[in-house]
Amino acid sequence: MRILVVEDEKKTASFIRKALQSESFAVDVLHDGNEALAAAGSSPFDAIVLDVMLPGRDGLSVLRRLRERNIATPVLVLSARGDVSERVEGLNAGADDYLAKPFELAELVARLRALGRRGTEPRPVVLRVADLTLDTITRQAKRGAHVIDLAAREYRLLEFLMRSAGRICGRMAILEKVWDYHFDPGTNIVDVYIMRLREKIDAEFEPKLLHTARGVGYVLKEPA
Amino acid sequence: MTIRGRLTWWYAGILLVSSALLTAWWVDELGEERTKVAGVAENGGWSRVLAATLWCGIPVAVLAVTGGWWMMCKALAPIAALTEAAGQIQEHNLRERLPRSGNGDELDRLTEVFNGMTGRLAQSFQRVREFTLHASHELKTPLTVMHGQLETALRDPASPAEHRELLHSQLEEVQRLTRIVDGLTLLAKADAGQVALACAPVRLDELVREAHADALILAQPRQIDVALRQLDPVTLAGDHDRLRQLLLNLSDNAIKYNHARGQVTIDLRARARDAELTIANTGPGIAPEILPRVFDRFFRGDAERYGWTEGCGLGLSIAQWIVTAHGGEIRIDSTPETTTVVTVRLPQCAA
Repeated sequence: MRILVVEDEKKTASFIRKALQSESFAVDVLHDGNEALAAAGSSPFDAIVLDVMLPGRDGLSVLRRLRERNIATPVLVLSARGDVSERVEGLNAGADDYLAKPFELAELVARLRALGRRGTEPRPVVLRVADLTLDTITRQAKRGAHVIDLAAREYRLLEFLMRSAGRICGRMAILEKVWDYHFDPGTNIVDVYIMRLREKIDAEFEPKLLHTARGVGYVLKEPA
Repeated sequence: MTIRGRLTWWYAGILLVSSALLTAWWVDELGEERTKVAGVAENGGWSRVLAATLWCGIPVAVLAVTGGWWMMCKALAPIAALTEAAGQIQEHNLRERLPRSGNGDELDRLTEVFNGMTGRLAQSFQRVREFTLHASHELKTPLTVMHGQLETALRDPASPAEHRELLHSQLEEVQRLTRIVDGLTLLAKADAGQVALACAPVRLDELVREAHADALILAQPRQIDVALRQLDPVTLAGDHDRLRQLLLNLSDNAIKYNHARGQVTIDLRARARDAELTIANTGPGIAPEILPRVFDRFFRGDAERYGWTEGCGLGLSIAQWIVTAHGGEIRIDSTPETTTVVTVRLPQCAA
């Protein structure tokens, strides 16, 4: 995937570039709104990471111009303000996703991958990681032949982790997708739910599938 | 005694004494004239003086007291108005001005000075608010950089274990700092009136049921029992997300600040005009002397004493803001070592 990163803060731009390159994305970095508009219009990118506060022309205005010109490249907006109204403003301007600063790199990577996949990924009915299966129609989880009882929220959490199997899911992404929270509620609710889920799907079984990416989030994967 | 009363009595006293002196002088002069004319000494001259003094003095005194009272009332009325108006001034209406008479007298001047003072106060409050808002905003860029760089460093599988431990610990502190800055930004924006709340019908009972389900899970590690005793159907006009945040925050507190194997009880009652939510726990409670300060920003009371260090010290301030922004009120009552009860009243929608 080729990504355009538009961010005027040099250090931020630099670690985003490093992180994305280490995830084998091709990365172009620009620091100015007008340059970004020109670049996005002339060469094809798979996704654009766009900061709101930019010299030259602000991010949302760049976004509106792109959409006016029918350039549909998926755009992820980065912003330091991070309140609901700005989120709505960003999405209305044509953004495909929104991330408030300070953000987690794992989160950014996961979201960019999701944007790249959008619409192209098959959505299987039965999700599978090792011998753990989740039937999204009957809402039944099994480890091998053993049926696992899940509460509604646990089911949503497991479904989200299984759909992103092998990738780190940040706490904020989990809160957003499973709880529908767009703010940090300041509790360790995600960790407690993960602990419970782990008891149900991992405690009595081998291999262990649900791992902690310390300080960042969680990942469901088959051990290599 | 009020200034008004004191001035009235002084004024009446001076009038009385001067009228007595005047009468005495007048009778004395008159008596001398008569003695000169008639050549005989007047008997009972002084009793006549006394009678005349009384006859003149009593009406004069009555007139003086009532007249004085009226005059003082009139003269001091602007002070009473000024006192009343000054009493109404709170942090949120510092921009309001007391009405001036405009006649340039002492009281008008006092009002002018007073208005100037509240104006300066309003300005400094405003500056503090702007400072907090700018500071929390400015902190976000370095926090983003730190978070990103720490994560990048942690991605390097070659870094030695002790370095990774250090980086992890720093990452956790950066995240904690981020939570504080987020909370601070929210409160600073709320102070400046920059947070728009949605106002749509919200089924509060459904949110309480959901918060109860989450609380059950949150409470499990410490074997705390969370009971939902009463759940009346309640519809509010409000912000769905913020109300969820409020409920999660309060139930999380009730669990966190509780003894292991303690209890939490949640009730939602529909009343005539409002809904009353109570969340009670069997925690160590809050000492009466710190109870009035629990909603203060960054006030942590004796949380450290119990080893409760994970919060950012802004949770209850945010909860209070959410409740007042919905036109409701929140209070905390506590009996140390027995129970702490948080009561939230929120106005109900007309059904």
